[in-house]
Amino acid sequence: MSSVNENFEPKILVFACNWCTYAGADLAGLSRLQYPPNVRILRVPCSGRVNPQFVLRAFQRGIDGVLVCGCHPGDCHYTSGNYYTRRRYLLMKRMLEFMGTDPERFQTRWISGSEGPKFQEVITEATGIIKAIGPNRKMRDDLTIQAAFAQRDAEEEEGEAK
Amino acid sequence: MNPIAQEMQNIAKELLTSGEVTAVIGWEKGTFWYQSTPVMITSAEEADKLIWDEFCQPNLSKYLLDYRLNEGKVAIFVKGCDARAFNRLLQDNQIERQKAYLIGIPCPGMKDHKQAALVEESAKDSVPLAKVCQSCRYPNPVVYDRLIGSEVTPRATEPDFSDVMALEAMTPDERYAFWQEQHTKCIRCYACRNACPACNCRNCIFSDSKSGWISKDVNTSENQFYAITRATHVAGRCVECGQCEMVCPSNIPIMLMNKKYIKDINDLFGKYDAGIDIDTPTPLGHYKLDDPEEFM
Amino acid sequence: MIVIDKNKLTDLLDALNQSYQVIVPAKSADLTQFMPYDAVKEKNAEIILNENTVLSPKWLFLPQSEGMYAFWAKNKKLEIVDLPSDLEKMRIVFPVRHCDVQGIACLDKVFLDERHVDGQYLEKREKTVVMALMCNNPKDSCFCASMGVDRAHANNTVADVQVYDLGSEYAFEALSDKGQQAVEAIKALGSEKTVAVPEVKEQKIKVNIEGLPEKLSGMFYDSIWDSFMFKCIGCGTCAFICPTCYCFDINNKIRGEEGVKLRTWDSCMFDEYMLMAGGHNPRPGKKERVRNRFLHKLEYFYENYQMMLCTGCGRCLRKCPMNVDIVKFINQANAK
Repeated sequence: MSSVNENFEPKILVFACNWCTYAGADLAGLSRLQYPPNVRILRVPCSGRVNPQFVLRAFQRGIDGVLVCGCHPGDCHYTSGNYYTRRRYLLMKRMLEFMGTDPERFQTRWISGSEGPKFQEVITEATGIIKAIGPNRKMRDDLTIQAAFAQRDAEEEEGEAK
Repeated sequence: MNPIAQEMQNIAKELLTSGEVTAVIGWEKGTFWYQSTPVMITSAEEADKLIWDEFCQPNLSKYLLDYRLNEGKVAIFVKGCDARAFNRLLQDNQIERQKAYLIGIPCPGMKDHKQAALVEESAKDSVPLAKVCQSCRYPNPVVYDRLIGSEVTPRATEPDFSDVMALEAMTPDERYAFWQEQHTKCIRCYACRNACPACNCRNCIFSDSKSGWISKDVNTSENQFYAITRATHVAGRCVECGQCEMVCPSNIPIMLMNKKYIKDINDLFGKYDAGIDIDTPTPLGHYKLDDPEEFM
Repeated sequence: MIVIDKNKLTDLLDALNQSYQVIVPAKSADLTQFMPYDAVKEKNAEIILNENTVLSPKWLFLPQSEGMYAFWAKNKKLEIVDLPSDLEKMRIVFPVRHCDVQGIACLDKVFLDERHVDGQYLEKREKTVVMALMCNNPKDSCFCASMGVDRAHANNTVADVQVYDLGSEYAFEALSDKGQQAVEAIKALGSEKTVAVPEVKEQKIKVNIEGLPEKLSGMFYDSIWDSFMFKCIGCGTCAFICPTCYCFDINNKIRGEEGVKLRTWDSCMFDEYMLMAGGHNPRPGKKERVRNRFLHKLEYFYENYQMMLCTGCGRCLRKCPMNVDIVKFINQANAK
């Protein structure tokens, strides 16, 4: 891997269901399990709440990898939410790949409230993979007019130097 | 005159004179020889406007949404895909069955009007069928009150996913470049959405920029966001009428995305054709306990 | 006039491309539109000279999405800066058909109105040389002659160079100083000759617009709208491919503490277009929207600027998904 990637710290968004994965993440913390600080955890009531648009928007705004995590099938607090999630993301994962995004950047995993070590493992593994493949440039929707900001930053630097 | 058109006119006259329906929605000849466009007639005298030719591809079922609050009954002509579209609207609880009178027409396949626009009328016979029609499996209406003519043999028995598989065989970067080129062309006129019978939300998130889901900034990323979201929303509900692709002014292969979803649904959850019967729940509207498991 | 052989088209474009950014109509990924000549070469796209492009050249002066200024928050204060111009070089657009030249003339009325001159539009107009082509192969959808476009001479408030199609040659005549400079750049490729303006072929579609705006002013509540609105599916295709539709919306695009003010195309066919605060929509349905589009083109604009907002390019006749036909409308309105 190039030297750029060695210094690259990916941004990873984790959608964690309130009843299982969030508790799992909590357990990982209570158990003092170390995992990379590259993740941003977003708590949702159920993995079924995660609209495919959330995933797309994350990639648009500069996230390098997305994880959708929820209760194991059969354990859903709302009985059936994660069964819908399963169908939806089996399809969505394939569609994202069809559109040309790198398959490593999007994952769905089941992590229960007692699986603190699994949470640690999943995050560590995902961070490693995404770190290796580098920053995501696909589907990004940055401000189109970067030149104005570049000019401002240059002026500010000049001002500081004086 | 075309015997089917003749019968269409007779039926329209009969229905309007008897007062069974208040209006009939069919096709009339458009500006150019390769255009046949929707028309609504409300009196028997207008019935001779109705035509039937190889360019009657506009799907009429969605026009029923404009008349869902009407008192009387509206009659429409349905090809195979229009009938599936009608079932789509019915299953989505958008219209009432008893307020529509369906006159089915078995469809021999429609010609590609975009190709036709490039040649002279004398070369009409050389114009190929529209892409979706080439692999049509349901040319005969699946729902109707009355049928004109006799049923035709479907052109295909199995769905044709060759174009989807060709794209799947590429590397992610090649696929990405392909879609970038396509979606850079998008002008976000939303013709695909407005022509689609599965796009029947009263308030579309893309018509509401305050919702924050999409900006009016037209760039490839936002266009792609729109395209994927729309394809996902009609996943498992697409009736394969191909209207989206036919109305696109920028010639974006929209059906490729819809077919990708249909293919994956068939592979993962079992074969499903939308709009055939309205009692089977849509693939993303239900689940099975033994669905494929990849997320352990 | 400078007469250049059509075989030398590539030489001509290359010569211009040295000192200008050349924009040509071309077909790329199954869509015809005006695109930079550099991109045409890179993509190996086909230059389209014998028909009107699907997308009109209006984006050159009114881009579909255009930054107006940038802003950011700093020490709890808002700072606003102008954006640097994205036009480094002078542009040349060749060839623009007379209908599209007329389209630019319509935009000029709006954006260069003496009551308010739009700076960004003005800059783009000043930095662009428009080479108008007298087209001699009208398509079955063309009706510019009926809409008051001079088919032999382009609107000279817009065109900098008039190009005549002589069959196997092009003749270039400069109409302005900008145009003179451009013609100088390609002088060496041809020879100076005096040529007669070629005869123009008749167009198939003819409409009569004599007294139409006055007539339409009394037809707001006419039943004609009921039959015309039926087909419309409310998409924005007509407005976005039209060379004259200029309605725009202003938006913010914000990322964190920085943002850009954007001007984007809008279409009066969209349900959000006329939506008021509080949820009231004065044009709630298809009928009101179709009526507004046609009346704006054929009545309101004429009342304000004494010209039609339709140039007869025929794009909407070909591309409207459901064939809502403005020619048929004019004929029916005349017959009322």
